[in-house]
Amino acid sequence: MTFFSQAFRPVGSNKVDPMLVALWIAFILLAIIWITPFVFIVFTSLKSNSTVMGSSAFSPPSELAFGNFVAAWNRGNFSTTAFNGIVITVIKVPLGLFISAMAAYALAKVPMRINKPLFALFVFGTMLPFQVMLAPIFRQVNAFGLINTYPGIILPYLAFGIPYQVFILYGFFSAVPKELSEAARIDGASHFTIFRRIFLPVSLPVLSALLILDFVATWNEFAMALVILQDPRMWTLPLGLMNFQSQFQSDYGQLNAAIIMTVLPAALVYLMFQRYFVSGLTSGAVKE
Amino acid sequence: MSKTRPSLRPSLQGYVLLGPALIVYLLFAVYPMIDVIRMSFSSWNGLSPQAKFVGIANYRAILTQDPVFWGALWNTLIWTSAAVIIPNLIAFGVALALNQNIPGRSGLRIVFYLPVIIASIAVATIWKWMYDPFFGLFNGLLTSWGLTGLIMDWLGDKTVALWSVFVAHVWQSVGFSMVLFLAGLQSVSTTLIEAARIDGAGRWGVFRYVTLPALVPTITVVFVLSLINSLKAFDIVYGMTGGGPAQSTQMLAMWAYTQSMQLGVFGRGAAVSVVLLLITLIVVIPYMRWMFKREDMGR
Repeated sequence: MTFFSQAFRPVGSNKVDPMLVALWIAFILLAIIWITPFVFIVFTSLKSNSTVMGSSAFSPPSELAFGNFVAAWNRGNFSTTAFNGIVITVIKVPLGLFISAMAAYALAKVPMRINKPLFALFVFGTMLPFQVMLAPIFRQVNAFGLINTYPGIILPYLAFGIPYQVFILYGFFSAVPKELSEAARIDGASHFTIFRRIFLPVSLPVLSALLILDFVATWNEFAMALVILQDPRMWTLPLGLMNFQSQFQSDYGQLNAAIIMTVLPAALVYLMFQRYFVSGLTSGAVKE
Repeated sequence: MSKTRPSLRPSLQGYVLLGPALIVYLLFAVYPMIDVIRMSFSSWNGLSPQAKFVGIANYRAILTQDPVFWGALWNTLIWTSAAVIIPNLIAFGVALALNQNIPGRSGLRIVFYLPVIIASIAVATIWKWMYDPFFGLFNGLLTSWGLTGLIMDWLGDKTVALWSVFVAHVWQSVGFSMVLFLAGLQSVSTTLIEAARIDGAGRWGVFRYVTLPALVPTITVVFVLSLINSLKAFDIVYGMTGGGPAQSTQMLAMWAYTQSMQLGVFGRGAAVSVVLLLITLIVVIPYMRWMFKREDMGR
């Protein structure tokens, strides 16, 4: 029982705290409730439709119906939606981070007249919910003739991703000691060089955290895609899932297989890069 | 570092670096916000080339004639108040527990955070299936526990539909606040806690006089972020009920979308958006002032 040998002891004490044990048990029960939806989804995705209707809802599948995944992939046009999702994410995420980092550097390290009001304008954007103004975004994209195109979705995604990233990177760049860049400036290096050679490399940990957060957010986005990508050939995974849900909602096994295939990439990315999530979220919201 | 061309003035270099992000942001985020205000004073059907100025007619229409607006506003307010309290209390409890010396902490943290990274539309689909009146998990459980009297059509009954959707929202949002609380808790000085304990403070005393005061900034942040998040509730409602049954789960963000994009009355939709924007600003502006004040004090 080495696992438990150090557990349940409060800081600075060697005795097991019975309160903590009770708390832990209650807590495990809550965690079981939390994980139940996932278990239920996985179980259903492996059942044939007749099993779903014939057996109780929470019994494990008796024969594994992996065919659900193949069928859902084909009927849900997953090859199209996954491809679109990959194209949009692969372009949007690095591009957005790069231009945000450039802007954050300029705001934090280049004395201009408008640093402060511009920074405030960006911070304001971090709290602007775009779900509130889907129609005017549609109008603007339409004015550029970009409805149902990759640039048409990528540009607004960039616009609403930039504020948070600028906010975080501004905080980070401001904390970089002056001496680091001053020496280079005396040597005659331009701000472009300093940004690329000094600031980008030192901010790699923050950039990776933002990269992963943004990957998941972009991959999962629904509302904006709903108004801009109206042609089924341009749909992303969330749009595909929504359509699958309304078209084949009584094919329970396949519907759940479709859910799993939609969420799996983001879930895997999270499990692989957990610690980046925590640092990416908290560096912005909670400072020491 | 050699230079082949004369470099720009430093401030000009700054504008070049700032340019791309600023232009995209102004064009596709700031401009639509101004446009929605202008649009709310006009009449446009989405097709005609010109929008017509109609003064405050749209506002008068949504406030006096629209049979759905007040219900949607009411639902938004109820939803928001519940959403800043219930998930955050659970998240706070979970974070406190995870901050103790208990086994399996990292696994437990994953369990509570996993719903956050799942697409909202998938959360909606998952819960819609669990609420399925015939083969879903909830009614299945109730049947097997012999509580058949409690079985209902969770999303089809307009007295419970909003709360059924809300439960899914709780499941999805607890993890987000939990991570923020955990970060706040871990920054509470352990020396201070030990000092308080040596001075004879009990579990409650430490919590009340050391932990809680240190967490005030974190609590503020969590409060504001969950408030803003709940005002924009869209995906989950769209995916689970589409605003029904009988508009009982309709909310402002969704109603603005429906008016503009589905009914083609862009002016009215814009007026609803402006109302929602104003509500958001009531929260955001004081919060920004508080944040900048703290930032200045930190320097």
